[in-house]
Amino acid sequence: MNMTAERSLQIITEQIEKSRRAVSKVTGQSLFVSGLCTMGMAILIAITNFILIKNAIAGFGHLLWLVLPLIIWLFMRKYNKERAHTPVSLVGSMVAKTWSTFAWFVIGYFIIALIWGFVAMRMLKLEEYVATNIEVTPVIVLLMGMAITITGHILKQRWLIIFGIVAGLGCFVWEHFGCGQTTVMLLTGQPHLDLHFAAIASTLPCLTIFIFALVGLMLPGLMLKKQK
Amino acid sequence: MFQPLDPLLHSELRLAVMSLLISEEEAEFPYIKEQTGATAGNLSVQLDKLSTAGYIEVEKTFKGKKPCTICRITPAGQKAFEDYIQVLKTYLNV
Repeated sequence: MNMTAERSLQIITEQIEKSRRAVSKVTGQSLFVSGLCTMGMAILIAITNFILIKNAIAGFGHLLWLVLPLIIWLFMRKYNKERAHTPVSLVGSMVAKTWSTFAWFVIGYFIIALIWGFVAMRMLKLEEYVATNIEVTPVIVLLMGMAITITGHILKQRWLIIFGIVAGLGCFVWEHFGCGQTTVMLLTGQPHLDLHFAAIASTLPCLTIFIFALVGLMLPGLMLKKQK
Repeated sequence: MFQPLDPLLHSELRLAVMSLLISEEEAEFPYIKEQTGATAGNLSVQLDKLSTAGYIEVEKTFKGKKPCTICRITPAGQKAFEDYIQVLKTYLNV
């Protein structure tokens, strides 16, 4: 019983901090892997869309997004098998639940948008279809920004919170108001109905997702992994 | 007049283990060993003491073909840790 109260407090603080750091590293790895997979998929879908639209088939490349959760899960499963003795923690499970909730909402929303798009294309006139079409990318970036912000709150990383809010809202506005398409149109001077413009425009949501995955998932993941 | 600190928790290694487990749902033996820097023998003895007191539960299982020991804090352990912190605050005047 020769341990002082100060030493007790020091031990408690050190162990809780060590545990938080261990969880941050695991979370960092998950974000890093998710970011890399999302970026890879964004490139693949952009190329697919670009090729397909040149052959007058629009947007079918986006179906590949449905495979992304499976790819991330497979990579994480492999990593978790190789990972040594990292515990299940409250913080870790909160982060995991945040991202699994995000995944369920995104998959659900994506499927609803696909079904509605399929039905509306057959049942409605072109003007009605355009007016009622469900835009996927703006909502996904908004949800992603929210998930990043919540992760930042859980891990007590202020920069992650700020990034989630700024990027989520910024990319939502950018995508919802078609700023990317307008920019391409202004830069190339091509009209909306031009096939080359359509080909470039079809890759723009992928570019947004790519940048979001780079700055919102991969880089924060790398920073958390490297945190001392 | 200070209240006495729980003697079971007032030991460097046992306190470190409890502090570690308080923020984890569960932890494997090698992880606890790595984080506390204890030897396997000493850690086993201290885990036994905490388990006998009902502060933690120790589950011996298998991970594939390898044996695996998982430790979890019990509600009694959480209560004891919270009480320990409360008494510690009086010692530190916080």
